Amino acid sequence: MTSAKSELWQTFTKGIWKENPVAYQVLGICSALAVTVQMHTALVMGIALTLITGISNLIISIMRSKIPSTIRIIVELTVIASLVIVTDQILKAFFYDISKQLSVFVGLIITNCIVLGRAEAFALANPPLPSLMDGLGNGAGYGLILVIVAFIRELLGSGKIIGIPVIPQWLTDAGYSNMGLMVLAPGAFFVIGLLVWLKNSLPGASHEEKTGQ
Amino acid sequence: MADKKETADKTELTDNRATALNGEVTVSTKAVNTEADDTDAANTKAANKGQQAIEKRIYALKFAAILCLVCSILLTGASVGLKPLQLENMEIDRQKNILKAAAILKSDANMSKDKIKAIYQKNIEEVVEEKLSLYLYKKPGTSKIMAYIIPIESRGLWGKIKGYLAVKNDGMTIAGFTVYSHSETPGLGGEIEKNWFGNNFIGKKIINDSGDFVSVTIAKGDSDDLPAEKKEHYVDGISGATLTGKYLSEGLRENLERYETVSVKFRQNSF
Repeated sequence: MTSAKSELWQTFTKGIWKENPVAYQVLGICSALAVTVQMHTALVMGIALTLITGISNLIISIMRSKIPSTIRIIVELTVIASLVIVTDQILKAFFYDISKQLSVFVGLIITNCIVLGRAEAFALANPPLPSLMDGLGNGAGYGLILVIVAFIRELLGSGKIIGIPVIPQWLTDAGYSNMGLMVLAPGAFFVIGLLVWLKNSLPGASHEEKTGQ
Repeated sequence: MADKKETADKTELTDNRATALNGEVTVSTKAVNTEADDTDAANTKAANKGQQAIEKRIYALKFAAILCLVCSILLTGASVGLKPLQLENMEIDRQKNILKAAAILKSDANMSKDKIKAIYQKNIEEVVEEKLSLYLYKKPGTSKIMAYIIPIESRGLWGKIKGYLAVKNDGMTIAGFTVYSHSETPGLGGEIEKNWFGNNFIGKKIINDSGDFVSVTIAKGDSDDLPAEKKEHYVDGISGATLTGKYLSEGLRENLERYETVSVKFRQNSF
């Protein structure tokens, strides 16, 4: 029982760190560029994607023996798209303010390759519970990278953290100014690139090391 | 033999339907047909193999049909069932934005739906003046008009921008501006819906000192860097969203120009 539990836990943590979707699988880069200007949006996007990846993995895993292999990608996409649209509708009806904040992000989740990628690579071949954990783990891993990138971009680009100004006045008076590049998409490229490099150069985390063993 | 023929016929029939899905199917049918001239044993084997492949296709079609049906029922249900709630939310959001534009509600106020409805009914009057629809903010209990609110519809970078602009009863000073619907890039052009952006408009003038219409424009960068005579017609721009600012400036000008006849009346105190 404990080993089954720890296995589930491993499936979950694998998505967060070792096989992080952004840093290791290089998936979901487009949205990582788009929503990381502020920590607030990055956080919300991370949570939304975590939930959707988890649930879609669960549903697809339950149906996995029934899905005809010839049309499996269409089936996966149909499930994901339906899930996203229903979520969007529910948000609009009950949490209107949140849905306004999320605006286009919810629709963007359908096109996020992490959701389809995990359904295809994991949920089709594994039982429901590990699939759910894998989806949640990958979503959380994506969210983690998003929040780190957004933290750096918001701090350097707008001098704020979660919307609160943190750059003291005397620094601005002394000639400090925000880095405009960080607000734009190229800024995200640099930050994500450096993060991937950093992550993969840490011991025990690089792809080369793993295959070499 | 008759039995076999029937099977062949059946396969052909179903195959026609499946051809659209996959060209491969047609090939397998042909294989079945040519082999039909061979010995009986080979015949049965091939037919069985072909039939299995076809059964697979039919299963895929059936699966797709059921999945589509389930998903469409789910989506229709969600959309139809939640529509009244969504419409109500949208209407309240619209009212809330009118109230915010007129600075009746604080920009970060968090209120229940009923409260917003009540405040709206107490303060706002919808009128049509010179064939233009606008909202009047009257102080409750009096007939004194404090401000008038103009609906703004502008082109944006990715889609329409909709909002409200409130002008004080002097017909020239902006009392507030809100955006309630847009499709600009979140974090960049999307900032137009934020309170800080709307608050920039407060106190700006839509006419200059000699009384000519100049509208209000979104500056490229900080409006503090502009010469003094321009300052009261410009608001701070959003870095990384120059185009959104440009289109919204054009939209504001167009809308304000259309409502000039109303504004002039206010300026002459003849409304």
